[in-house]
Amino acid sequence: MNKIIAMVRKELIDAARDKRSVMAGLYYAIGTPLIMCGLFMVLIGQLTSPDDLKITITNPDNAPDLVRFLSNKGITQGNIKAANVKDSTAKASTENGADTQDLKAIEMIISTDYAAQMNQGKGAEITIVADNSDEKLQNSIRRLERQLQAYSTEMGSLRLIARGIDPRVMQPLKVNIHDQATTDSKGGMILGIAIFTMIYSVFISGMNLAIDTSAGERERNSLALLLSHPLTTRQLVLSKIIAVSLFALLGLVLILLVSKIAYTFVPWQELGFSVNITSEFMALMLVVGIPVALMAACLQLFVSFMAKSFKEAQSYLTIVLFVPLALSMAASYNIAPDMLQWLPVSGQQQALMDFIKGKDLPMLQLLVSTLSTLAIAVLLAFGMERSLKSERVIFGL
Amino acid sequence: MIKVSHLSKRIGDVQALNDLSFVAKNGQITGLLGPNGAGKTTCLRTIFGLLKPDTGKAEIEGIDVAIDPIGAKQQLGLFPDPFGLYERLTPREYIRYFAELSGLSSKDAKEATSQVIAKLRLEDISDRRCKGFSQGQRMKTALAQAIVHRPSNIILDEPTRGLDVMSTRLLRDILIDLKNQGHCVLFSSHVMQEVAALCDQVIVMAQGRVVAIGSPSELCIQTGKDSLEEAFIQLIGTDEGIAA
Repeated sequence: MNKIIAMVRKELIDAARDKRSVMAGLYYAIGTPLIMCGLFMVLIGQLTSPDDLKITITNPDNAPDLVRFLSNKGITQGNIKAANVKDSTAKASTENGADTQDLKAIEMIISTDYAAQMNQGKGAEITIVADNSDEKLQNSIRRLERQLQAYSTEMGSLRLIARGIDPRVMQPLKVNIHDQATTDSKGGMILGIAIFTMIYSVFISGMNLAIDTSAGERERNSLALLLSHPLTTRQLVLSKIIAVSLFALLGLVLILLVSKIAYTFVPWQELGFSVNITSEFMALMLVVGIPVALMAACLQLFVSFMAKSFKEAQSYLTIVLFVPLALSMAASYNIAPDMLQWLPVSGQQQALMDFIKGKDLPMLQLLVSTLSTLAIAVLLAFGMERSLKSERVIFGL
Repeated sequence: MIKVSHLSKRIGDVQALNDLSFVAKNGQITGLLGPNGAGKTTCLRTIFGLLKPDTGKAEIEGIDVAIDPIGAKQQLGLFPDPFGLYERLTPREYIRYFAELSGLSSKDAKEATSQVIAKLRLEDISDRRCKGFSQGQRMKTALAQAIVHRPSNIILDEPTRGLDVMSTRLLRDILIDLKNQGHCVLFSSHVMQEVAALCDQVIVMAQGRVVAIGSPSELCIQTGKDSLEEAFIQLIGTDEGIAA
């Protein structure tokens, strides 16, 4: 036991002084949440339309009632020419800059016979001119259409009432929608990505240390010296796993702290929900992260011990790390979700996503995936212990 | 005491050790002398249990390395070639680390480290990181690591390689010192002067086999030559003659 403590202490001192190992962990843990925040901010900016939708309305004077209705709903005339005609020149010029800036490329043309048609109770013509293939515009077009539909329904109802008919006759279906999405669950998808970056930090943070302490140790000729001392290969393997896992968990703690702070700067409220890295979530993430960190350490050490050199280990690991990456990504995008609930990494990821959505933790799935994670770790550790008794591995033959 | 009996080991197509037997006694310096590729390092690695012999066994203080590797290694100190320093640790940390791995408690390891640093006059570099050390400084650090836990047996693999005169002398003094304290010192070398000056017993190896065993003067008498070098050549040459 004393020997294991001595070895873990040495590995950690050694790793802390190794710029390459520290930087690999730090860059990821600090950089990723910041990049994610930036991405989310851009995403939110695209998803949410500004409160006032400014469009070009041609012939607004033909339908003052409709224009008033739309402006009540936040859809206003942004046309400078029209504004000039309608309002005072001074007001138009002050709003000039803002108008041209926010003006959407949507034109609503009110037909010249609008008022006449309306008066006669006929269909009055409105034409919307816009590029429907422009994704950024689609939300605005939908919004305008919805409001026009609402106005149309209102007018229709009024006409029916004027003729002594209950407008409900025109609504044979009464659809009620109970939106069960809590505000947190809407953010689940975005959080899926955020959680994925956190789980992956466990793999990234310890990677360099894992290579350095195995393939690197052999390359520096200290592995044979180490094994010449009175310690069992099990002690050696255990201490290396512990050291790498601790480093990986350090990366996880760091990314959690940075995320907690950084994510508060994202304007979540514009999406109608809030993303909060709560202390409970952080605690759960850490607990769930421990077996994942152990497995990551075992996997990386195992692969690096098999490799003949530092460089070889690096290239192998890049390929091997694609597996947890794929599992975690698949879980956050809900591809084949049933099977993935039970697998290592993706199981934990889904459980964490459920937790953040405010659902109950799927205890059985979490337990199975945690146990399978640990089982893989133990198998790899045994494999390493065996392989370190082989001359081929010790001397990298 | 290190006892090797009937060791044989084949690595790939090469018969690295071929029925090798010898004894290195306590209170003596035993030199393992042989040309490059004679199997010296393979022999030492087998004694440490890093390589498994095909036949035969190695015993340290009567403990079979294959049966009780931990117990056997407890009695050993290794000065390896290459040194295997951790460049990011200071000699003090490095020596203490291996002292603890050799079974010393944290407190004892700290004390033993300070003593060995004083003994090898390492004070000026003991708290600097090993990166950038000269060959002599590296040698001293590695040697301190080998003797910090006061093992009864010390094995050195090519200890004087790449050392200047001052470092070689220091190493020689320390080996003689260890011998006088009753330790068993076994080292491999292919440098004649060193072996002649230091060794009580020389084991001449060639092609994984013991060619001759004896003190330097005995070997000279045996071959009828004046110097150990001549005797060595004679012995190796004879061996090659037999092999052919």
